[in-house]
Parts: sequence; structure tokens; C-alpha cells
Amino acid sequence: MEVEGKGGEAGTTTTATRRFALPVDAENKSTTFRLFSVAKPHMRAFHLSWFQFFCCFVSTFAAPPLLPIIRENLNLTATDIGNAGIASVSGSVFARIVMGTACDLFGPRLASAALTLSTAPAVYFTAGIKSPIGFIMVRFFAGFSLATFVSTQFWMSSMFSGPVVGSANGIAAGWGNLGGGATQLIMPIVFSLIRRMGATKFTAWRIAFFIPGLFQTLSAFAVLLFGQDLPDGDYWAMHKSGEREKDDVGKVISNGISNYRGWITALAYGYCFGVELTIDNIIAEYFFDRFHLNLQTAGIIAASFGLANFFARPGGGIFSDLMARRFGMRGRLWAWWIVQTLGGVLCAFLGQIHSLTWSIVVMLIFSVFVQAVCGLTFGVVPFISRRSLGVISGMTGAGGNVGAVLTQLIFFKGSTYSRETGITLMGIMSIACSLPICFIYFPQWGGMFCGPSSKNVTEEDYYLAEWSSKEKAKNSSQKFAETSVSERGRASTHPQT
Amino acid sequence: MAIHTLLFASLLIFSLIPSSREGNKGRLFSVLQNSLDVTGKPVQDGVVLEAGKDMVTIKWKLKSSGKVDADATFKTIQVKLCYAPISQVDRPWRKTHNELFKDKTCPHEIVSKPYDKTPQSLDWTVDLDIPTGTYFVRAYGIDGDGQEVAYGQSSDEGRTKNLFSVQAISGGHVSLDIASILFSVFSVVSLLVFFVKEKKKAKLEQRE
Repeated sequence: MEVEGKGGEAGTTTTATRRFALPVDAENKSTTFRLFSVAKPHMRAFHLSWFQFFCCFVSTFAAPPLLPIIRENLNLTATDIGNAGIASVSGSVFARIVMGTACDLFGPRLASAALTLSTAPAVYFTAGIKSPIGFIMVRFFAGFSLATFVSTQFWMSSMFSGPVVGSANGIAAGWGNLGGGATQLIMPIVFSLIRRMGATKFTAWRIAFFIPGLFQTLSAFAVLLFGQDLPDGDYWAMHKSGEREKDDVGKVISNGISNYRGWITALAYGYCFGVELTIDNIIAEYFFDRFHLNLQTAGIIAASFGLANFFARPGGGIFSDLMARRFGMRGRLWAWWIVQTLGGVLCAFLGQIHSLTWSIVVMLIFSVFVQAVCGLTFGVVPFISRRSLGVISGMTGAGGNVGAVLTQLIFFKGSTYSRETGITLMGIMSIACSLPICFIYFPQWGGMFCGPSSKNVTEEDYYLAEWSSKEKAKNSSQKFAETSVSERGRASTHPQT
Repeated sequence: MAIHTLLFASLLIFSLIPSSREGNKGRLFSVLQNSLDVTGKPVQDGVVLEAGKDMVTIKWKLKSSGKVDADATFKTIQVKLCYAPISQVDRPWRKTHNELFKDKTCPHEIVSKPYDKTPQSLDWTVDLDIPTGTYFVRAYGIDGDGQEVAYGQSSDEGRTKNLFSVQAISGGHVSLDIASILFSVFSVVSLLVFFVKEKKKAKLEQRE
């Protein structure tokens, strides 16, 4: 049965040569990226997914900019605040791993919307908390929503082809992460507006939380109403009609976790995205307390860190794609390692600076680097596995959060280290944890220090090796192998087979 | 292009930061004269005061035992509510620093009045936004340049005696709780509705 005519636009069975608004490859994935288009299904999926992820980020980090008020209302100690910060990013460690598999099974549309709608209550209930425990719990459950990151990357990797997947992943994730910065501006403004309407301080912050909650709910509706899992249709419809054969969950997971590259990306991501999450949690209070600024000013400075995501993370993804065009996968790896190490150096530097002006300057430069690294990481992730794409994305994403949990536990809990020292130590740890990138090796393309295998391994060999000889490899793995030949770079060292 | 955006962002940030504080840098608490006699007594002793409801009677005057011209430079008296050490534990944002501009012991202003040589008294209702904690009262004598020159406090030097406790308002309202429940139920129910619709659609497609 011809794939072309089923699913997708309801009812139309067309044999027109171009059914899509954008040019597509063999898997019907778009080969270009048109930012200002909302054409079904590719660009629409992009805009829906980044916006939903953005709303989840706003909700998860809605508390930090208002902490100077919340800590007085709930009588929080520094330990409570540290614990809540850890809780906010630890929930989604588990959620991100599960989300990877959920996407493989149910499709990114349902998986992400289900998560977003089921974590919205945590945001609404923030309005009613009365104690430190309540605070920690709502931050914990709201934080689960950060797993929509995995669905974003999965969805983009399903909709966009090799040469542009880094850019698509980078921009979607970057604009989602933007929420962590935007919230530092939005929440103090919403708070002041509500105060002006007559509420006391301790009531105004509570009412303010309904805004992120509502946005989260509405974005999930948009995804469910207007989104589509794959260029050819939705998962459930396609499962039932037999087009998408169900894969063995156990095999998908074991194939994913046995790939050592997924573990290295998880560790490295823990020290770029993990650093970003940590900074989102501590930076407003850092500027408020250390430099004696007021709430609004500290919020603006804190926001500028996250707002750099608008161009920094997409820039990383685009840079990864550019490097791949010229140098192939090896270029992607080198760029990733260099930028991450430099980011760590800048972070270490930031903690040593005593002046306000220079702290801001270094923080801004550091934010561009650390966010670009996140984009560079997901320029490599789509190529690690085809069969277990969701699992690898989930592992890497979860690794980001584990890094944030560990960092906050070791350096930012209670009063062991001053905040400045914590920031410096975090930078040093970041440099150390990016060294394993040097060990990533693809037999068909090479690694940082080694060329491709002398045994002339092809992309087909690598991706079909994910299936045992008894299992029937899916067509999609074959097609993906063909399209990923571009990762050899311009100077191809393999003779054509 | 990225560089331009970065520079523009930096410019925006700098223009929004208020100019640095005037003159107070470096002024230490330890050089201030303790020339004011201050008492701060809750209306009922030994009871936890409720923010927004209960009152504290605050009295301040120049110490009779002090120097003759101790108040020569006073222009204003600023009375503030201060945290006792027990409320500062594990809360670095309330830390006591010797440098006055860094000191966070007394963030809440009660009243600021022009200096009057006669003994003053005030019945102050605890503000609605005062957090839960243990407090004492301190008054600063401020000169014409806005600099602190003297102080007095209702507690001793170690800040352990004559303290009173405040219980903050919760800030919560029943209407907020109801709204939370309504919105949450709406989110979860609409998710279930969508799931059911999807299953139905999938069954329909299967039949085609």
C-alpha cells in the first residue's frame, strides 16, 4: 500500500507530486526550515512545540524571581530554597527518560500534551501553599513539565531532515528555554500589576501564578488541536492502519541504553544545560543579595541570562549544521567540545568578579556560550541512534537535569559555599565533564581524534546494526541511513559503494 | 548579527540599572553613638503578635546619661523593625553587616520623623507584609546629609532581650484555593476528553 495517500490531511488521497508546502526527503521530512511559516505539518509542529515548551519553562521557573517575597511569606530558610531548587529540576530526570519512550510509543503530540496538562495543577496549587514543604512539592511536580523538551527534540527530529535537524532542534529548544529568562521578567511585572490592583504582597504573588498555569494549559490545547506527529499523520492512526509497526519496547530501551555515546552526551549535557538550569534558579537571588539591587532590577539581569537563548541555542544548532556541511560529524564534535570548555572557563570566571558591571558582562557572554553548547549537543544526538531516538534524547535530556540536581546539591545547598565560590566550582566541573566528548566515535564518520574506520563501515551498517538479524529493520532506519550520508562532510574519504 | 544583539542587550541592561548609591559606602555601624533610649513593647507581653492586627508601643528619647550635645546634628529620626539573631539563622538575606549600606538587619521602616527633643511615643500596628519572626526595634539619628550618626535599640547589644514575635498573614484566600481546584480539574478532564476523541478517531481510520 502506498504510504503517500494515507493519514495526514483528513480524507485526501492525492497522488500529487508535492503534497507538502516545504521540500521533503524520502521520509517526508522537510529539508528546509522556514521560520515565518506555519505550514502544516512541519513548521506548524515547530511553532506548537517550542511554544508549549516555553510555557512549561515559564511555569517551572516562575518562583525564583519572586523568591524575595515568597521566602518571607512562607518563612523559608536558605536550605528550604536550595531544596526547592533541587526539587524543581529533579522531577524531570525521571520524566525525561520516560518521555523518550512515550514518544516512541504514543507520538510526541499526545505524550507532551498529556504531561503539560497533568502538571498544570501543580502550578495552580502554588497559589495555596502555606509551608516550606508545600513550596518544595509544587516546585517538584511543576518541574516534571520540563520533560516536554524531549518531545520537542523528538518531534523536530521526526519532521526535519539531517542537514537542518540541528537548526530545528536548536531553535525549538532555544526558544523553549527562553521561558526560563522570560519568566524572570514576566513574574515581577505580573506581581506589580496585581499589587497595584490592591492586593497585599503576600496575596499578589499567589494570584500571579495563575498566569503561567493558564498559558501552560492553553498551549497543550493548541498542540492537541493543531499538531500532527509525523509528516504523514498521527501515530495512533498510523499504528492502527498498520503502517507504523509497533516496536518492542524492551528492545528499544536496551538498544538505547547500551549505546555508550548516549551516556557521554548525557554527562556533557548535564554540564551545559544543567548549568543553565542552576543559573535560572540562583541568579536573581544572587544579584539581589550580593549587589543589593531591588527585585525588578535583579529580575531584569536574571532574565537577560535566559533571554540569550533566543539566538544562542539556535546559533549552536545552526553552527553544528554548518560545521557538518564542511567537516561532517567530526566538525560537530569539535565545535561542541571547544564551546563547552570555553563556557566552563567563563563560568569559573564569573564567580571571581566583584564588580556589578563586569559580572553582568561576563554573565552575558557566558550565557551565549553555555546555551550554544546545548544546541551543539543536539546537533549530534539525532545521529546516535535511529531505532532508539526517543531513548537517547530522553537520556541526554535527563542527564541535563541530573547535572542541575548534582550541581545544586554540591555547591548551592545551604551555606557551605558562598554563591560566588559555587559558581566558580560549577565552571570547573563543567570543563572536566566535557572531556568525555573526545571519546565519542562513529565508525562511519570518525571521532574527534580519529578518522572513520578503515573497515569502510557505512551509515547503513551502523543504523541497521541496531536490529538483530532476526528482527525486521524498519524502512525508516534504511531511509535515515541514506539521508545521513551528508555527515561525512564535503571531503568524503570513502569510495562510493 | 549575534554580536550586535549582545551589545544591544548589554546597553539595555546598563541603562536600566539605577545609579550607584550616594555617599553611604563604608559607613560602619560600630562608629555610631548609642545615644538614643528606645523601648518597643507589644501591647500584651509574651503573646505572638498578628500582622495587621496587633500593636507595639514604641518610645524613643535622647539618653539622659549621654553627652550634652549628642543630638546637635540630628535632623531626622528613623525607627525600624529589626530581626533578632534567631530569625537570621540560615537566612543570608537578613545578615548583619558592620557596613551600614550592606546591613540587612533592619529592612522594615516603621516611621521616619523630623527630630524632636521631647520624648516620643508611637502605637504602631504591625504591617501586613511583616514576615513571621522575632524582632526588636531600632531608631537611627540621621543628620542633614542623610547619614546615620547615632542609634538606640529596644534590645541589648547581643539582641537577645526584650524581643517580641510576629506571626505573618498567610496571604491565602478561599477563593484562590477554589480557583486552583477548578482550573486543575479543567486541565485534567480536558486531557481525558482529548484521549477519548483520539481513540475514536483511530478506530474510525482503522475501519476505512
